[in-house]
This record gives sequence, C-alpha cells and structure tokens, in this order.
Amino acid sequence: MTPAVEASGPGWPQVIWSEALQQRVRTAKVLAVGAGGIGCELLKTLALSGFENIEVVDMDTIETSNLNRQFLFRKRHVGQSKAKVAAEAVKRFRPSCNINAMQANIKEPQYNVSWFKGFDLVLNGLDNLEARRHVNRLCLAAEIPLVESGTAAYLGQVSVHIKGKFECFECQPKATPKTFPVCTIRNTPDKPIHCIVWAKDLLFQRLFGRADVVTDLDEAAEKAEEGAEGDAAAAAEQEASFFVRHPEETSEAYAERIFHRVFCFDIERVIGMTDLWKTRKPPVPLKVEALRPAASAAASANGSSHTNGKQAAAMDVSACRSMGLRDSHAAWSSAQSAQVFLKAIQLFLDLRADEVGAAVFDKDDALAVEFVAAASNLRSTCYSIPPLSLFELKGMAGNIVHAIATTNAIVAGLIAVEATKLLAKMPAACRATHLRSSVHTGRSGRERVVGPSMLEPPNPKCPVCGTAQLTLEIDTAKTTFKEFLDKVVRRKLAVSQPTIISDNFMYEEGPDLDEDEVADNAQFLPRPLAALPSGGIKDSSLVKVSDQSQELELMLIVSHQEQWDEEKDPEGFRLGGTAPKGRADAPVAAAAAGPSSSAAAGDDEDDIVEVSEEALEQTKPGLISKRKRATPEEDQPGPGKRLKAAADDVEVLE
Amino acid sequence: MVLGVAKSRLAVERSNWRKDRPFGFVAKPANAPNGEVDLFTWHCKIPGPAGTCWEGGLFPLDMTFTENYPTAPPCCYFPAKFYHPNVYPTGLVCLSILNAEKSWKPGMTVKQVLLGIQELLKEPNNGDPAQQDAWEDIDMNPREYERKVKLQAQRYKA
Repeated sequence: MTPAVEASGPGWPQVIWSEALQQRVRTAKVLAVGAGGIGCELLKTLALSGFENIEVVDMDTIETSNLNRQFLFRKRHVGQSKAKVAAEAVKRFRPSCNINAMQANIKEPQYNVSWFKGFDLVLNGLDNLEARRHVNRLCLAAEIPLVESGTAAYLGQVSVHIKGKFECFECQPKATPKTFPVCTIRNTPDKPIHCIVWAKDLLFQRLFGRADVVTDLDEAAEKAEEGAEGDAAAAAEQEASFFVRHPEETSEAYAERIFHRVFCFDIERVIGMTDLWKTRKPPVPLKVEALRPAASAAASANGSSHTNGKQAAAMDVSACRSMGLRDSHAAWSSAQSAQVFLKAIQLFLDLRADEVGAAVFDKDDALAVEFVAAASNLRSTCYSIPPLSLFELKGMAGNIVHAIATTNAIVAGLIAVEATKLLAKMPAACRATHLRSSVHTGRSGRERVVGPSMLEPPNPKCPVCGTAQLTLEIDTAKTTFKEFLDKVVRRKLAVSQPTIISDNFMYEEGPDLDEDEVADNAQFLPRPLAALPSGGIKDSSLVKVSDQSQELELMLIVSHQEQWDEEKDPEGFRLGGTAPKGRADAPVAAAAAGPSSSAAAGDDEDDIVEVSEEALEQTKPGLISKRKRATPEEDQPGPGKRLKAAADDVEVLE
Repeated sequence: MVLGVAKSRLAVERSNWRKDRPFGFVAKPANAPNGEVDLFTWHCKIPGPAGTCWEGGLFPLDMTFTENYPTAPPCCYFPAKFYHPNVYPTGLVCLSILNAEKSWKPGMTVKQVLLGIQELLKEPNNGDPAQQDAWEDIDMNPREYERKVKLQAQRYKA
C-alpha cells in the first residue's frame, strides 16, 4: 500500500525529512478551530512540528474543570479566552510561531467562504456537532481540506475530508442527541434517563427555575380541564402556585409537602389512568414517613457542617456532605435518596434563596446535581427502575463525556500527521484513524489500539456535498433578482421553474402556487440581489438553485464584482466550475442567449463552464446505483456502548 | 450559510409537497413580515375527515423541525387547548409516528405525517392520554365528546 508519490520524490513517511516539505510546513497557513482538550494538544504539536502560521478560533473561556488536561492553562487563567491564553503559552516556548488567536464563534458571518479560502488546511478540535457541521460546509464551499477529530474517554478518531475526493463530515448520518417523548417522561418512564429528564427538566425547573417557563412536561395539562373553557394560562398558574412556598412554611415542611406531591399524590393520580397499565406494571407511591430515618441522626450530621465558619459559597453547598454520604459511586437506598431530596430542597431554600425562581440546572452545581439525582432515584423506585450512583447520574444529567488527556494528545498527534500528508500533496496516504479502548486484533493478526482505515469516496447521495457547486461573479448591488433569474438561472443554467434558497430567503415559481404565493414571490423580482431578505445575496453568499420541473440542483458561490469589461463579459457576470446540463427541452431557446451564453460544451468563449456527465449525475441522486464501499484496511471496532447509534464511526465529542 | 442536512431535506419536502399535495391540505414554511422564510416552521391545515364529527373543520397545525431532523421527528402543534385525547394542552400532538422511540422513520414525509394526524382525529388512541378533558369524555360521555368535537369543527370552519 504505497501512497502515490510525485515522480521520483520520497514517499510517505520519508518525505517528512525533505527540505521542500519542511519549508511547506513552515509557510502553510492553517486554521485550528477549538482551543480546548484537543486544541491545546494540537497547538503544541503543530508548533513543535514546524508549523509557523496558525490561526486559532475558540469562543470559550477557561474553567477550573479544564485544568487537569488542557495543559496550556493555569489556575490564574480561569475566566480568560482559551484561544488567547493557548496562543500566548505556545509562543512562549516557540517564539518563531505566529499564532493569531480569536475569541469568537466560528459560526459568525465574518468567517465566510472567502475567509476560509485564505487557509491551506482547516483542523477541527471541536466539542459539538453543530459547529462541526458548519465548518464542514464552509470547507466544502471554499474547497479547503479539513482534518476532523473527536475524543470521548479512551475512544477517539481523526478523519480527512477533501471535497470530491473523500467523504465529507455529513456523508454518513450522525448520531444525534436523543430526545424522549413527553408521554414516557410524564407517565410511563422505564429507564433511568427518563427519570433524570423528569427530575432535571420538570421538577428542578418548577421548584427553582423561572415560573413562567411552561413546557409540555407540565401537568398544567391535567388541570386545564377543570374549567373546560377556562384559560390554560390560569390553570398553569394555579398548578404552579402549589410549588410556591407558603409564607411561614419552614423549608423542612415545604420539602415534605413537595415530596408527598410528586412521589405519592402524582403517582396515585397516574395509577388512576387505568388504560396506561393494561400492558405495563403500574408505579408504586412512596410515603415520606416510611423513609424517614431516626430523626436524631440526620439532625446531628447536619449540625456539624454548616453552622461553623462562614456561609459556604453557593456551588459548595452539598446535601451529601452534610449527611456524610461520601462515596459517589455507591447507589443510595430509597431512604438515603429521600433524605438527600429533602435536605437538598432545604439547603436550596435556606442558603440559596436568592436563586429560587431563576436557577438553571448546571452540572457543576453540586446541590443541583444531588437534588436531581435523589429525585430521579426516588422516581425510579416508584417505577421499579434500578437506582444509579451519584457519579452515574451526574454524568447522565450533565451529558458528561469523561475526557482523558492522553486520548486528546494521541488524536492531536494524528491530526498533525494527516495535516503533513496533505501539505505533502499525498492525499492517497491519508487515513481515517480510530482509537479504541482496548487492544484490537486486526485481520493482519497485529494487535493495535490505534487502527487506520482507508478513507471513503464521497457519498453521492450526501445532501451536503452531493450537490454540484459553481462560482458566480456578479455585481450584487446593481443586478436585480429578476435579471439574475433571467440571465443566470434560466438562460445559463436552463432552469425552468426555479426555487432559490439563500440562508433564510426562499423564492419559488410554478403553476401549483396559489395567487398569494405568486404575489409574495413576485415582490422580490425588482430588488437588487444584495437587498433581498435575510441579508441579501452578496459576496460569499451560498445560493441553492433547484428546478421544480426537473431533477436539477446546484449551489452557487457568489462573489461580488463591480468592474465589468463590456468586451470580455458582455453579460456582466461570470460562471465558473462544473455546471450540470439542463434538460434539452428547457424553455429558453439557446438562440436567444447569444453565442457566448450557451451552456453547451465546446463553446470556446465559454470554457469556464464545462459540462461533465458526473456533474449531471450528481444532480440526479435517484440515478446513482448503490455505491461500493472501499474495503477498510481493518475491520471496524465495535461501537462504544453509549455511542452506538453511529454507523461504523465512533462519533465522539470532545 | 450552506444548507445542512435538515434544511436540504426540508427544501426537498417542500418541493415534493408542491408536486403532490393531498386535497384540502395546506403546508407551507412560515414567512416573516420581512420576507424571510423559516424552513424549520411550517404552517399547515388539516381538513376534518369526511363522514366523521370532525367534517367541515380545517384545523391549523404548526410543524416545527430541528437541526436533528430527519433523525428526530418534527413536533406538531394544534392551537393550545385543542380538544382531542391525544393532544396536550399546549397543542402538542402525541402520536407514535412522531415518536423517535416508536414508529418515526427518517424517510417519513410531511405528507405522511399530515395524513397520519388526520387519521388520528377520527381514530383517537385512548391508551395514551395527553389531556384529561377529551380523554374522560370519550370514555364516559361519548355524546358530549361528539358535541365538543363538532363545536370545534365549527370554530375552525373551512
């Protein structure tokens, strides 16, 4: 498996020692997106590998919980920009390295296609799907190679994406965060996560959060029926008022009243919905009296920790600590859960009263986590679901993926390796690499933890990269939308019933539209492109053009061009790239378009628009036969247990 | 910027709906006064099934999608306090085809969803109550149920 090498030069990896590649590495301009777990490691590795021009973007600030693995940061940096502090730290040990740091969201509009085009490579070290998708799309539009990465505990992966050559980030469907149906959460939970969602999104919200937030989870539902024509909002208010503490009510009495309501009264009410229990086991209500321990024990434990010394900082208040429950890996008994539940409510009301009514669940808020854990376990008890430990519940409630510095370091190293191959112009040597949590024996019989596999060609049905892409140079300030439709879309692209989408602007045409719709669409025709809704079509805009009357779809990448030479470009616009061929019987006669605007191949003045069969096929996903997948070098690992939804990729997130 | 998976699919859904819309139904992405369109929110109308107490009504329904569509189903809302056993007081429709853990499939179209909800109007599922009002009436007082449904159909007259 020798990678493609130019002429007689050295292959991979020998090429690393060539002066030419080292020079290329020094001069290459790379964009690192993210300066967190992977990002810190990556910046260090890039700088030490000879990269000297790095731009780093990260919107986050440093938190204490980052310090164990994001080693460029120290305690004194907490609260400062990750990108900036990381850049300064790297420059200290590698002063020759130019790192330009920006504290910003990569999705901001100034980071547009032309900005991305200014880089040789884009390297992702992101922690969320949305930003990954966004960077993938911009790299496709700008035609810049992307090295994408992710880690979760011992698992990790690095992949390389080049438009038209390899799969893009979205060619394979991604596992998305799970949502749970309202009925299950409210009435018929059967998994711990259902109880956690209930405790966090419904109960915590209702007791400590903003009163005006009403969700489908709210049982204001049930109350609405009392006055059939009554006001739902009033019913919701009446419902919410139950959860308001009465004046004179002690925090202890309040906590017990809430306990009785949610684990006894509400459970009995659900049991009354007999239709629900025809095929399921009904829940069992809990009585607070039965779960109360010897009163004196609780009281003395509580007395010792909170009365002496200054009042603890809000985030340090803990029900568990005051009760002596130290092992976060042990599941509590129902009695212990009940005590934590009552204690957590009391502490919240007594020590953090100013937050009540505005609190938001935060995974780093010990008391909030304890409350949610206890409430979730109690509800689990009602529904015969096994209880979990505080540690497990915290992880699930906070969607925490435990991060390991070594995994991040290995992944960052692999990113630098793939980046170097790309700069060496050896895409055939690029690999997708998976890091596994245990030694894996490949087909070759070799045992390894780091497993490379061949990169897949693009999925022709991919909704993101499967669309043909053209560049359009045009004066967006002067050209009206009608002129654009007539000259570019109809005449040049042979679209007969165009649908145009650009960001949140949409234009439709066709005999099926009703009068109102036709009028709505017609109002856009006289406007200049730049004055259309949703920011207008202007420099760097991405415009999707499709034809309602035939299978044709393409993306235009617009650049604004004011100066036009009448001689060279009499039409006042220029199309570039590979255009799909319109249907032969497209309504616009080629003759009307003049010699320079025919889309036919072979027209010498028009050779920037070349028509290829592939491009045509690209626009007709229905015609593509099921593509053959390249055989990976090794069989894929079994998917991790909490990440199993992804196809054969381990989709992981730091 | 560039259309993502969800938005591309919604554009396709709109295009397919225009080619093949069931009689009497409406489904259209929301328009803002400034001329922007929100492909993630559709304003729809479902005709009450003929030959039932729902007949004559044209019921407004909002369909909201997320970036996770079509992996995740849309949320469908009738107006708040819509009278039907499987509609929450907020208007949210509770239906197995709209539930990712039950019968939702990413291939399901807007048309199938709307036809499914029309079906739900005449065939409520009393095993999955979402509101007490209609749920109790249908069991204990079917005549009252029918009266209220007809009243509602009048209110949303086509």
